[in-house]
Amino acid sequence: MSTPAIEAAGLGRDYGEVRALEALDLVVPSGALVGLLGPNGAGKTTAMLLLATLLSPSRGSARIFGHDVTGARRAARCRLGLVFQEPTVDPFLTVRENLEFAAGMAGVARRDTRAAVDGALERMGLGPRAGQLARELSGGWRRLADIARATLHAPALLILDEPTVGLDPEHRERLWGFLDTERRARGTAVLFSTHYLDEAEPADRVLMLAKGRVVADGTPRELLAPFGDAVLEVDGPGAAAFAAALQGEGLAKLVVPSEGAVRIGLDGRKEHVLERAAGATGLTRSVLRAPTLEDAYFARTGARVTA
Amino acid sequence: MSALTTALAITTRDLRRVRRQPSRLLGGIARPFVWLLLVATGYNAIAQLPSGMPYREFVYPGVLVMACLFGGALTAVSTVYDREFGMLRLMLASPAGPGAVLFGRTLSATVMGTTQALVVLAAAPFITSPTLPQLLLAVGTLVVASAVSAVLGLLVASRLRSVENFAGIINVLLFPLLFLSGALYPAEQLPRPLALFASVNPVTHMVELVRRAFGQPAEYGFGLNVVVLVAWTVVAFLLATLLFDPEARLIGRPRPARAAGAP
Repeated sequence: MSTPAIEAAGLGRDYGEVRALEALDLVVPSGALVGLLGPNGAGKTTAMLLLATLLSPSRGSARIFGHDVTGARRAARCRLGLVFQEPTVDPFLTVRENLEFAAGMAGVARRDTRAAVDGALERMGLGPRAGQLARELSGGWRRLADIARATLHAPALLILDEPTVGLDPEHRERLWGFLDTERRARGTAVLFSTHYLDEAEPADRVLMLAKGRVVADGTPRELLAPFGDAVLEVDGPGAAAFAAALQGEGLAKLVVPSEGAVRIGLDGRKEHVLERAAGATGLTRSVLRAPTLEDAYFARTGARVTA
Repeated sequence: MSALTTALAITTRDLRRVRRQPSRLLGGIARPFVWLLLVATGYNAIAQLPSGMPYREFVYPGVLVMACLFGGALTAVSTVYDREFGMLRLMLASPAGPGAVLFGRTLSATVMGTTQALVVLAAAPFITSPTLPQLLLAVGTLVVASAVSAVLGLLVASRLRSVENFAGIINVLLFPLLFLSGALYPAEQLPRPLALFASVNPVTHMVELVRRAFGQPAEYGFGLNVVVLVAWTVVAFLLATLLFDPEARLIGRPRPARAAGAP
């Protein structure tokens, strides 16, 4: 069995009296796609900076391909590619110059730099923009240049902190397509955080964080299982009573009150329940839909991932 | 090898940025010429130095050091800019470590300071009558002065988070260093506390090295000039490395045990 890309045990960090991350236990195998979900302040960025060796832990330990993030930072960093929330593309350099700079930062030998930069430009479709100043690129292309920057030294583990924030659907699709290719071609492991919950659904594993604690951990299928086949979302003054009635009759698998509405997990007899909702008094809205990771997060925390 | 690659990458990036923003370089070159043309010309008519040397000739080494000092130290603003806009995180994630990052920044700032000073040095034949060996020696001393200035600038920039703060603080620091260095007037007759400050002021010893290159008299010995500059460079570089990435200092330290359930 190969060494895991990430092994973290009880990893935590405090900022003064504030516990930003309580205790993260995580094993990410080589080639796996793992998502961290949670609203702002949940501890996602702290977890990523700890694993990226840029923060020192207050407790616990972590290894990147067997290299301790505190004792063997240099070896760990050689295996890492990082994408931060803030753009790390110099606006006064061309795309090619930015990648040359990143190659130097990653320790790529000068004789190998040209090939590494050309490869990254081609893989990301940035070839025609190689000579353009980064400040002249759209936000989407700048982000793609940032991803090319993070991958040009062929890291075995990519850590991406909200890589798709502010991207339009076309660039999001291009970015995920590129990461999928990297995983297939090189067996790159990917740890990412996102506010777009649909992006986490293809992940091999999802960790949900709230206020510095891990509140759920599993495959998307495992996390969605408590909701059954579908979710009926009902609003109105009679919503709670309607949900309780369904639960009493064994028609509701899970009932989650949410901000004036109720989310009801259903396992079979969906049409029957929908007919009941149509005829029920005190309901102003009823929508039947597939369960989402937002439902799973809300069921565990009573809060939304997205504001 | 990785550290050198990283340092050269930083230097190349900084110089590319300067090429795209030439106003920074031009502004740095204009400052010493303003002093030479406006201040030195004016004082030349009224200042009578004990050595009998014309004021313009006396102040010229000081103006050269001014170019090194401001060119080298102000280039450290790039570090603050990078911290403010997120690029520094990428640099700190380099396997080469913060020492290599600071070395790269020192190199680029040294090139900037020296470049500005060399433009001022090109005016030497209009002010004094230097020989070729004097000019070559002067180039060497200007590289040293720029390198020391670069490290001093990095020390100031190592913990600052905004470009505005850096601009305010660096000017407050550089002007007293320059005025109390004997660059613009002889420091021998300063009141004792100020003379004491001047004796350990790195700019004093930069100016003395340049004066020596031009064959002008110097107050302190050559050995002391070198010792003071080396000491400042080593201490400032080590301090800057410690302050630059505080997380690195925490790594490897034993962590105090916490009681279970502690907040």
